[in-house]
Order: sequence, then structure tokens, then C-alpha cells
Amino acid sequence: MAVLLRVPAVVAEPSAAVLATLARAQEHLLPSEPGAPGAREIRALEYLRFVLADKRVDAEERELLLAGAASLDRLSLKVEGADFIALDAEGRERVLQRMIDEPHGELWISTLIVYLLEALLCAPAYGGNPEAIGWHWLEHRPGFPLPDTDHIYPKLAL
Amino acid sequence: MSADFDVCVIGSGAGGGPMAYELALAGHSVVVLEKGPWLRENDFYKDDLACCRRDVYTPLLREEQHVLEERDSDQRWQRTPTSVSGRSFWNGSCVGGSSNFMSGYFHRLKPVDFRLLSAFGPIAGANIVDWPIGYDDLEPYYEKVERVVGVSGRAAPGSRAEPRSTDDFPYPPTAEHPVSAWIDQACEELGFHSLRVPRAILSEPALGRRSCEYSGYCGSYGCASGAKGSARAALLDRAVATGRCEIRAHAKVSRLASDPKGRILHAEYFDGEGRTHRVDARIYVVACQAVETARLLLASAGPKCRRGLANNQGQVGRDLIFSAGGSGSGDLAFDGLDPERIAEIRLLGPFVNRALDDWYVIEDKQLGRIKGGIVELLWSHPNAFGRAFRAMRGRGGRLLWGTALKRNLELWFRQDRTLNFEVFNDWLPTDDCFVALDDRVEDKWGSPVARIRLGAHPHDLKVGRYLAEKGEQLLGKLGAVRIGSSISSSPPPNLVAGGCRFGTDPSSSVLDPDCRTHEVENLFVTDGSFMPTGGSVPFTWTIYANAFRVADQVKAQLGAIGPIGA
Repeated sequence: MAVLLRVPAVVAEPSAAVLATLARAQEHLLPSEPGAPGAREIRALEYLRFVLADKRVDAEERELLLAGAASLDRLSLKVEGADFIALDAEGRERVLQRMIDEPHGELWISTLIVYLLEALLCAPAYGGNPEAIGWHWLEHRPGFPLPDTDHIYPKLAL
Repeated sequence: MSADFDVCVIGSGAGGGPMAYELALAGHSVVVLEKGPWLRENDFYKDDLACCRRDVYTPLLREEQHVLEERDSDQRWQRTPTSVSGRSFWNGSCVGGSSNFMSGYFHRLKPVDFRLLSAFGPIAGANIVDWPIGYDDLEPYYEKVERVVGVSGRAAPGSRAEPRSTDDFPYPPTAEHPVSAWIDQACEELGFHSLRVPRAILSEPALGRRSCEYSGYCGSYGCASGAKGSARAALLDRAVATGRCEIRAHAKVSRLASDPKGRILHAEYFDGEGRTHRVDARIYVVACQAVETARLLLASAGPKCRRGLANNQGQVGRDLIFSAGGSGSGDLAFDGLDPERIAEIRLLGPFVNRALDDWYVIEDKQLGRIKGGIVELLWSHPNAFGRAFRAMRGRGGRLLWGTALKRNLELWFRQDRTLNFEVFNDWLPTDDCFVALDDRVEDKWGSPVARIRLGAHPHDLKVGRYLAEKGEQLLGKLGAVRIGSSISSSPPPNLVAGGCRFGTDPSSSVLDPDCRTHEVENLFVTDGSFMPTGGSVPFTWTIYANAFRVADQVKAQLGAIGPIGA
């Protein structure tokens, strides 16, 4: 009996509000500094969008990332009386420190950091680490050959 | 009797590759059924995300997994599906198998490994036996692997060196890192012997393949140059070039159907779209790596073999073994060193190629005379993510972010380079390490997955710790700081053997000395499953050599039954 095994992954794009919260959290967790790139310079949000659409990333992980952003916004309103994206750096820090004690809060922050570090150090073809800015900062030498955009793993005939 | 092919090889790694190569070159028709995709050199990049974060060369655990059985703190066996734990027990799943991703540290077993019971006596709780063949039986095939797969090295005669039938390796050693000379010096001062490790990596263009390009990214990565002696690059590509070997990728064999006499009639497999197919052949060779080989035989009950193919004696899946040991590390700190020395340490590309085998047999006042193992030196894995993730937490395990995280990243990346060692010693076979079919979890095709009980013998830890102390001593002599090691009874899944051990007694072994099953005359097993004990080195070279040896037996059996179509 024939069984269809290949199920195309259809993943809905997160809302603009969720993406804005994620982007601001990323910028706080990995801030920009002269000579030491932050989330903005490594294109962390662009990379995270790749992750959220990647069928090799577990659906649970994707849910965690998105639900965590919503939880952060709710916590921000409760603690600071404003959306997370409207807070200054001190306010954001207070909310994130409170987030650690929330259910799955530390897991959500650490997961966000994991994907920040992936964006910092991945092959540039994946959307993060533009012009190897992360590798230059940390004096990391990659191997060769590196994948170009036509040879990133979602395009492998696996 | 007509058949589609002379030989059907199931699995295309170090056990299947030599079989396909030898038989195709000898004029036989061969089909290779491989569960994974067929990736070539131009599919392989030094892609840390692909290799080390997304495990793209192994199945998704939600589709194909294992159930691992380990003791809890109350010493009760607990079963955990790997889709729950996230602990993948797969290796490379593609044409060429895990040999695509090996580091290629190639060691022969030593003569004493073939007679562990005779040489050291029994150990309570361990199912130690001598092999039914000796080192001399396998030596010509070790030599053949050097030539055909391509092994680079330099022979160094000595009391511990394995006997050789040729003076030297066919290819000179690969380029070596400056630290190799420092290790030699430190060993000399300590009275240790520094062994130059042969590599299954071409140091010069040969065999229709390019030489190593020294990117510094080797183990865990597919080889883009073709220098690494994977079964795919070294053997299968050449087998296919004969026109007599067909490789069917995305072909997942689910069952070997057999007749009342126990002979295999055909192999049943699913293709990439989930459609079922059959292929029949005169001889079947199973080489799916030890766990999946045992699983396939157990899942292939037939009229004569109701407990699984070749399993009327209940031996299939028993005495699974791994490589025991663990690892250690020390940091070569840059602080206080001159720029030239720092540049030497940071050099990326050439290989360390050093190991210690002084304690392959341990003679110790406290331990007595026992079988030991080796200590292999290597730089820490080059992928950036491992280091970066260790920088995520500060003192007390506190999660770091902001500028604190960034300063910690700078420390982890810029202040030193970590030199590792890996300890390899025998994983003693016991009744608590085996493969069975799980009665609850199935794969995406609806077949029971393998359940693996992972019991280790305490003797393995004792030997491992002894060797790790030597490794730490060497790192100390090299001036490393933050030295530590971890010897564990949790096995690495990339070196797995046993489960269908060979022997002369059908009541205690699955295979005869030629690796033909005692019970099924047209079935051979040629991955590491045959090994009753594993030696104290990575055993890929031995799997290759034995598969070449068994190929001669298969050729002889095919010669006896005449050409296809007769």
C-alpha cells in the first residue's frame, strides 16, 4: 500500500507585533557596541524568521519562541504598564529578569540566545552573520568550502 | 532459478561498500539498498548548522528513532524514546553511511584483541570470547584497505606495532600541526611513546580522488574534496563505474522474506515516496550498522525462523558493544606567549595525528595485568556553536545576556585553544547490552523501532580512568590549564558493533567465521555486528578489512552456484 511520507511544511508567518517584540528582546540580549556587533548588525531577526520557517526545527520550539514573545508582552504590561517595545533599557531588563521566574521563562530566553548565537556564527548564506561580521569579532576561522545560498541545508536533496 | 541481482547489499557504509566494490569488480551484478539520500562531494560544505545543529545527515527523530534503556538511580531499567530525550542515536544516514563523517583515525586491532579471553582470562559478568580468526587472517585485508580505501601514514616498527606484510603505508602522512612536535617532546620527557596515527585521508591525489585540502573541519563533516576514505568516495563510486552496481537511495528495507528452508526469497523496501518494492538476489548482505542490522533480522521472522531471521538460538541483538572510554581536555592559553607561538597554536588545517598506546596492555601493581587501550590527541571540535553555547552561562550556571554575554564570548573564543584527548578501551560484552524490537514505538513506516539496553561493565570505567590519567598527565606537561576528563558508561553511538557475533558454535553465535549466518545460507552480515569484542581502538578499519575478507567468501559461494540466470 502506498503511503505518502513527504508532508510539505506550511508555516504561517508570525504577526508584525510578535516580530517586533522578538526583535527588541534580541537587541537587549545581544546589544550593539562599537567593534562588537549586536543583534541588529548580525541580522538576528532575519535569521530567526528563517528558523521559524524551517521544518527541521521542532514545532514545539517554534511554539515556545512565539508564545514566549506573547508572554513577555503580557508581563511587560503587568510589571511596567507598557508594551515591551516601548520600554527603555532599564525597563526591558527588569521585565526580562522577571521573565526568568515565569513558567518556561528561562527556557524561552535561553532559546532566544541560542538562535542569536546561531545568527552570530552561522555561514552568511543563512541570513545571519553578514560579511562574516560575527566571525571577525570573535576571531573565528570557518572551514571551507562554505555553502552559498543555493547550498544551504533546506536545499539539499535529503 | 533467476534473480534480479547476484547480490543485494543492504546498507552502504564501511560494511557494505567493500562488498559492492569487490563483487562488481569481479563481474557480479550488485544492488545496494540505502535508506538515506545519495549526497556527493558537491553537496558537502563546512556547514556548522547542517552538521552540528540540525543533524541533517540523520533522520528526524519524530520520524525514526530508538528507545534507549538505561538504569535509573534505583538501578531499574528505564525506557526513553529518543524523540522525547532529543538524544539521537543515529550516525550518518546516506550513501556511504557514517564513514562520510568519520575523522578517519585508522588503527588496526592488535593481535591480542583477537584472543582477549585466552590472553587475560574471564571477567565475571562479561561474555568475553576469543575470535574464531586471528590477526594473521585479517592482516592481508588491513593492507588491502590501505591501498584501496587510501590510508596515509608511516610505519614505525616497535614492540607494540601490529605486524605488517608491507614495509610502509602507500601514502605519506597527512600534514601535521606544530603541536604534534610538542606532543612528541612532552612524551619523550614523560617516558611515553608518541604514536603517529594513520588516517583514512589521502595526503596526495590518488585513486581518482583529490588530496586533503586542510580546512581544519573534518570529523562530523562530509568531505568536499573526496580525500576522506568514505565507503562512498573510495568504493561505491568505483563500483558504480563498472556498470554492474546499482545504488538505490531512499530505499528503506523493512523485511527479508524467507522460505520454509530458511533461504531469503526477497528484500522488501519502501522508496522515498512510501511505495513498497521487492528485490531478489542470490545472496544478501546486511550491513546497516549493528543496531539496525539486528533490528532488520529480528523484524524478518519467517517459517523457519519464527523469532527473527537467523535467530532460532536467540542470539541476534545480544552482546552489543561500543567503544568504552571518554574524553578529556586542557586549554593552551595565549596569555604570556609570544605572537609566533600563538599563531602556531591557532593554526587551522593540519592534523594532530598523535596517540598513546603505551598502555594497550596495562601492567600495574594495583590493577594487575589487564587489557588497556589508547589515548588519542585532537583539537577541540572546530564548530563555533559548541564554544558559544558554553559562554551562555556564568558562575553558578547563571544565564548571561547583554554585555556580560559578549565579554564571555570574547573570552571563550580569544584566550586559548583547547586540546582534547579521547580514550578508547574495550566495551566488555554483557547480558545488559543488547538490541530488541520495541513493543510500543514504531517508525514512520509502521515498523517497531530498535530498543537498545545500554548496560556497561564497571571494569570498562576502571580502565578508562587509568588511561584518562595518562592523558591528563600529558596535557599538564604541554602546559595546558583547566585540565579535566570524563570517563562515562554512556556510550558514543558512532562506534557500535556486536549483536551478531561470529563464532564456530551456532548456539552462541549468529555468524560462522566467514560471517555467513549459521541458519540462513544466503545471508551474510558485514558491518561491525560480527565483532564479539571490539578492541581498544576505533574499529572502522577493522570493519572495512573484514568486509573485504568476507567478499572473498561471497565470491567463492557465487562461483559455486554459477552465473546469474543459470
